[in-house]
Amino acid sequence: MTSLFEYILKTPVVTEALKPGDDAQIEVISRQIDDHARKRFGRSLHIRQVDAGSCNGCELEIGALNSPYYDLERFGMHFVASPRHADCLLVTGPVTRNMADPLKRTYEATPAPKIVVAIGDCAHDCGVFAGGYGVVGPVSAILPVDAVVHGCPPEPREILLGILAALERQP
Amino acid sequence: MIIESTLMVDLFLVTFACFSAGAVAALIPTPSSALARVVGHGCALVGAIAAIAFGVAGLAGGSMEFIVPDLLPIGGAAFGVDRLSAFFVVVIALGAIPAALYAIGYTREYAGKHSLAAMAFAFNVFVAAMILVALARNVLTFLALWEIMALASYFLLITERERDDTLHAGWVYFVMTHAGFAALLVGFLLLAQATGTISFTEWGAAAAKLDAGSRNLIFVLLALGFGTKAGIIPLHVWLPLAHPAAPSHVSALMSGVMIKLGVYGLVRVAFDWLGVGPLWWGATILIVGAVSGVLGVLYALVDADLKRVLAYSSVENIGIIMLGLGAAMLFQASNLPGLAALALVAGLYHALNHAAFKSLLFMGAGAVLHATHTRNMEDLGGLIKRMPQTAIFFLIGSLAIAALPPFNGFFSEWLTFQSLLLSFQISAHTVNLIFALGVAALALTSGLAVACFVRAFGITFLALPRSEPAALAREVAWTMRAPMALLALACVVLGIAPSLVLAPLEATVFDLMGGHADMRFDLTAVVANGEFGWVAPLWIAVGLAAFLMAIALGLRVIRANKQWRYYETWGCGRALQTARFEFTATAFANPFKRVFALLYRPVKELDIEFHPESRYFVRTIAYYNEGRLIFEDALYRPLLRLIQALAREARVLQSGNVHRYLVYILATLVALLILTV
Repeated sequence: MTSLFEYILKTPVVTEALKPGDDAQIEVISRQIDDHARKRFGRSLHIRQVDAGSCNGCELEIGALNSPYYDLERFGMHFVASPRHADCLLVTGPVTRNMADPLKRTYEATPAPKIVVAIGDCAHDCGVFAGGYGVVGPVSAILPVDAVVHGCPPEPREILLGILAALERQP
Repeated sequence: MIIESTLMVDLFLVTFACFSAGAVAALIPTPSSALARVVGHGCALVGAIAAIAFGVAGLAGGSMEFIVPDLLPIGGAAFGVDRLSAFFVVVIALGAIPAALYAIGYTREYAGKHSLAAMAFAFNVFVAAMILVALARNVLTFLALWEIMALASYFLLITERERDDTLHAGWVYFVMTHAGFAALLVGFLLLAQATGTISFTEWGAAAAKLDAGSRNLIFVLLALGFGTKAGIIPLHVWLPLAHPAAPSHVSALMSGVMIKLGVYGLVRVAFDWLGVGPLWWGATILIVGAVSGVLGVLYALVDADLKRVLAYSSVENIGIIMLGLGAAMLFQASNLPGLAALALVAGLYHALNHAAFKSLLFMGAGAVLHATHTRNMEDLGGLIKRMPQTAIFFLIGSLAIAALPPFNGFFSEWLTFQSLLLSFQISAHTVNLIFALGVAALALTSGLAVACFVRAFGITFLALPRSEPAALAREVAWTMRAPMALLALACVVLGIAPSLVLAPLEATVFDLMGGHADMRFDLTAVVANGEFGWVAPLWIAVGLAAFLMAIALGLRVIRANKQWRYYETWGCGRALQTARFEFTATAFANPFKRVFALLYRPVKELDIEFHPESRYFVRTIAYYNEGRLIFEDALYRPLLRLIQALAREARVLQSGNVHRYLVYILATLVALLILTV
């Protein structure tokens, strides 16, 4: 027990140091996203995330968007539990055979207007899983994709830029 | 024969001419059973319409006396009417009119399998006997008709006598109703002996002079007898068996109407025949009402048989009526006639309301049974798409019984609440505590009733059908829908215009107890006890309607200039959406089963059969979650064992030896001779 407390007390902050200016940049991007979302949807952005067969690397990065550092909720952006409530779909991973149909149903269940952002290299071109027997293809083979975020996995900031890019595209 | 008012007597004679014609027409042998079905029940329909006219005329103050001297010994068959009898005639007719119409469509299915002649005959006799029970004016008339009513309902109940459970239900009903009859008989004879008359009208004055001991004994006996018919806990055991087993129009009549005659008897005992009693009479009735209300709805909440849910819910509603009745007796004994009248008005109003919505619900359940041939809610579902009108009527009945405004159940429960809450005007603390128990029980009952009918309606009518018969169900014939529409209309009218009923009820109660109910009412609002409680049913209805219309209008405004796209219901992206994914009736009830485990004492069992090669593969899973019935286990089984043991002892006397029997006869003769000399 004492050794545990000793360990806790002795361990310094182990997270990576922030890049200078990152913080301000996040705020700028997020404000822009919010402005666009309000213009286009008449309210703040509601996001539904679909894992179409991902290794969960991208999910960790998406999850980080809700961490105290990024804290997307402060800009009104909100992860929702049903596509019925969503304006934006974040799709990760190569689309597997089992998830192709649910992904299509999710897209159909999302009320228009809506945007689709493919997150990560796998979503773009199946990455290392390309040609696998369980893989149908990239997200764009199933749904019309508005923006692609590259990276394996992409950083949270890049995900935000991807959402912004999708919003900036004229519908 | 003594005849006073011609209009009343004419209506009385027309009513019973119709029922007699129906009974006779049913028995005419014809090649097709349609005559018995249509004419037999049609005559009952006309008779019931005449009966409602008779009842309304009686409520308006009409009186009559009708005596057939030679029909029965000692005083003949005597009938008369006062406002209380007239009110119950209206209740009976309100149930009988739709039931007769419904029977025309519903009994079509029995053609060829069961005797429609017998059914239509018993139906006419049953309804006529119920009306005459309410009008009987002496002991022998009352008891004879009470027995005819019990027998007619028994024969209707065992219509499907090829099934063992029906016969069992019939047997339990037969035994219980005759146990009640025995209690009534002894009580009536004691009262007749003590007062020296068998005429009901003379009892009120004579009973006041009796000593406390015999009055208490008579009260207990009569309360047991009438309580058995009313189905109060713990005398309720026949209801959950009999109501599901009977054909649905008969269930509607038995549950909606017949058990009200038990209430009628209790009201007569407490306010007419025996006069004001000690506090413990009212306290007992109130506590019994509280227990019946809570336990009735708790049993209703967990049962999977749709009609048994309704039967247990009848126990609950009788409990609510008993709360009003018990409160009235306590107020009367505490010398607060205004509040006593208010509480009795509440109880009687609930009796009328219960007749309307419980008949409606039983007919709805009957329509479901007719269309799917199952009462098991686990096999139903999705019927709102297949039987939309039945579903709407059942929904209205459910909302009414769950006491939601603007339907009628809300108003009578509100009135019962007001009268219970006004108990602070009594200064005895024990009595206040009993009232507090009543308030708590009523609050719990109403809350659980909502859950119970969300379940009954939701599982039966919503989502996907859980079995093939439910998927193939079709809407029932108009003869079955029209009576439901009629009763649904009654539920709405009785809910938004209580003054229609309150005025005659107030007069009824005034006649009975000589106190004006402590309330004021006009077309829109009702005020209880000064400014203590106030409600405006009509404005609630108007407000709710306006609110719903505002939502509809608002949606229309929002929806204008928007594009529309229709797509399947979101099912979490599942490829296959079947009824197996649905919430079941058992699952809905499970939280309540856990919370009230003390009452249900559930027995859970999980049987899993694994594949012999690997435990990761399951061949079958069987899950049992049965509740036990406390009163049957703890009260009736020991009683039956005791009776059987006594019977075994008594069997020694019946040896089969003729010589011994001759000795018995001789011994009796000698004993009698010694006694007389």
